[in-house]
Amino acid sequence: MKADRDEGRSVRILLAEDNSADVWLIEEALRRQSLVFQLDHYLTAAGAVDAVKKCGVNGSPIPRLLLLDYNLPGGQGLEILAAAAANPNLIGVPKAILSSFLRPSELEDAIRMGASCFIAKPASLTDFLRDVGATVVDLLKHDS
Amino acid sequence: MSPQYVSEVGSQSPSPGRVKLLAVDDDQHNLVALQAILESLDQDLMLAENGTDALRLCLEHDFAAILLDVRMPTMDGFETAEMIRSRRRSHRTPILFLTAYRSDEQLFRGYDLGAVDFLFKPIVPEILQSKVKVFVELRRSEERLQRQTEDLKRTERMFRDVLEAAPDAMVITNEDGRIELANSRVDMLFQYSRESLLGQNIRTLIPEWERLTAGPVRDPSVQLEIRQTGVRRDGTLFPAGITRSPFHASDSVLVTTAIRDITIQVDAEARIQQTNADLERRVAERTAALSTSNEALRQFAWAASHDLQEPIRTVRAYAQWLSEAVNGRLGDRERNMLAIIEDHASRLNQLLGALRQYIHVSESGQQEWAPVDCKEVVAAAVATLQTMIQETGASVEWGALPIVPSIEILLLQVFQNLISNGIKYRSHERIPAIRISSAVTKTGWIFSVMDNGIGIEAKYSEYIFGVFRRLHTVEHSGTGIGLSICKAAVERLGGQIWVESTPGSGSVFSFTIPRYPHLGNRLQ
Repeated sequence: MKADRDEGRSVRILLAEDNSADVWLIEEALRRQSLVFQLDHYLTAAGAVDAVKKCGVNGSPIPRLLLLDYNLPGGQGLEILAAAAANPNLIGVPKAILSSFLRPSELEDAIRMGASCFIAKPASLTDFLRDVGATVVDLLKHDS
Repeated sequence: MSPQYVSEVGSQSPSPGRVKLLAVDDDQHNLVALQAILESLDQDLMLAENGTDALRLCLEHDFAAILLDVRMPTMDGFETAEMIRSRRRSHRTPILFLTAYRSDEQLFRGYDLGAVDFLFKPIVPEILQSKVKVFVELRRSEERLQRQTEDLKRTERMFRDVLEAAPDAMVITNEDGRIELANSRVDMLFQYSRESLLGQNIRTLIPEWERLTAGPVRDPSVQLEIRQTGVRRDGTLFPAGITRSPFHASDSVLVTTAIRDITIQVDAEARIQQTNADLERRVAERTAALSTSNEALRQFAWAASHDLQEPIRTVRAYAQWLSEAVNGRLGDRERNMLAIIEDHASRLNQLLGALRQYIHVSESGQQEWAPVDCKEVVAAAVATLQTMIQETGASVEWGALPIVPSIEILLLQVFQNLISNGIKYRSHERIPAIRISSAVTKTGWIFSVMDNGIGIEAKYSEYIFGVFRRLHTVEHSGTGIGLSICKAAVERLGGQIWVESTPGSGSVFSFTIPRYPHLGNRLQ
């Protein structure tokens, strides 16, 4: 991620996550990857859908990555994915689904709705920090 | 001469084959002559010397013919004939007059009195013999006819008695259904008088009555009862059980139709059907209610196992993070506390994972039924448990195992759980040894997984198959769900699972796999 730092820009990531404990963990995971990032965090599906619809509209910033928790109060990650798919400004932006567990059918739905990948939330801290961090870095690499 | 009449002539007693003849003449010489002439006919000849004796004999006997002398004192032949004719018993007995005079007057009078013939004296033996012979034959035929008639009457009486005694209404018709005969039960059943039915068509009683199809007459014993509708005289209807059987009368085919009122039977059947329908409906309702509550329970269990997962994962991660963050600044006591939090969170995590697995196994999923080679499945289970097997030095052996209709993933769960159970609950005195075997049964297969572990007391042999049921402390590191997973899996495969154990020396877990799992347990 040298390129990012060299360009002096931080990576903008849109995060939909209702569990603030996980928000902290995700931030920690990204920090440990030496990423310079800016997290646009939404606690509800409604908030996230709203934000996703506005990306790139009237000069509002376009995130480099969407991290979406699948199970959110007031709606499912699928709705955010649908909103993202409907916004042409988000074409090519990786959309990762986060969850501790997904049924095969749920995963299929998510992929059909345009999810780029599924990041499991591992139970142990070490695994969590490593898996989430590495996957995010990987997604950003492919994107740039 | 001594007897006025001789009751019997000849040495033989009367026999059925012989007929009786009567000769009447006032001249004993003539009687002796007649006797001599007729002896060759070998019949019972009775003799009378006058009309009075002749009349008396006629009261006691039936004669095939009477030879009557015309000229006799006191009562002559004509007078005697008149008297004989006037008696009922002898009204039609043929009379042959014997006379010496061929006078027309006599002949007319004789024929007038019913004479059948005249014989003129002197008697020519051959003529007398042949004429009498005719009457002997005539009488014999009459007797035969009478016997036959009586036989016939007896048979018919018997037939009617049988018909009357029959438990059903019996109607005998010709092939077209014209009623020839009916028993009294027909009157009772249809409220007709029997006489009024004779000659009518049976379709008056049974409109749907059909003639038996032509062709060879079927064995009556294979005639089956059919159900049609009976119509009583007042037009009311009733369900009738009809059995038809044809029989060949001398010149035609007659059909016996037995008719039973089966109202009670039909009502009972209707009630049974109604009861069955009610029962089925109730079972369906119950089943629906049960599956609704099952589905609700399943969803609850699913949600619980997933929703609990989140907070416990967070607790665990933060306990680790905290211990990492404050590393070096904590005393042993504090580090222990954090370790305990982590341990228990980790254990709860395991339990939830096991619960999810259980739900997955017992859920009606879309897993495929296929022939599964148990040898491969057991090998796969052993491979998965390799670490555990190596750490404990356990031996797992199996002999020939069959290919069974199954869902592979479920069967794998069963073997894996039973093997790991056998190793987990091992005795400290022995190296764990697991032996897997199978046998063919009438309905499928029975598998046994035998271990040499600590065993299970008989009173717990049901208990252990429940969810989260554990008999031991953490020393034996189980989640308490392995056996419930086995039970759920085996039951989904259509089988049953149970355990036999000797505490202290080991357990044998056995389960069945049916050959035709989709037939359900009914045939097992």
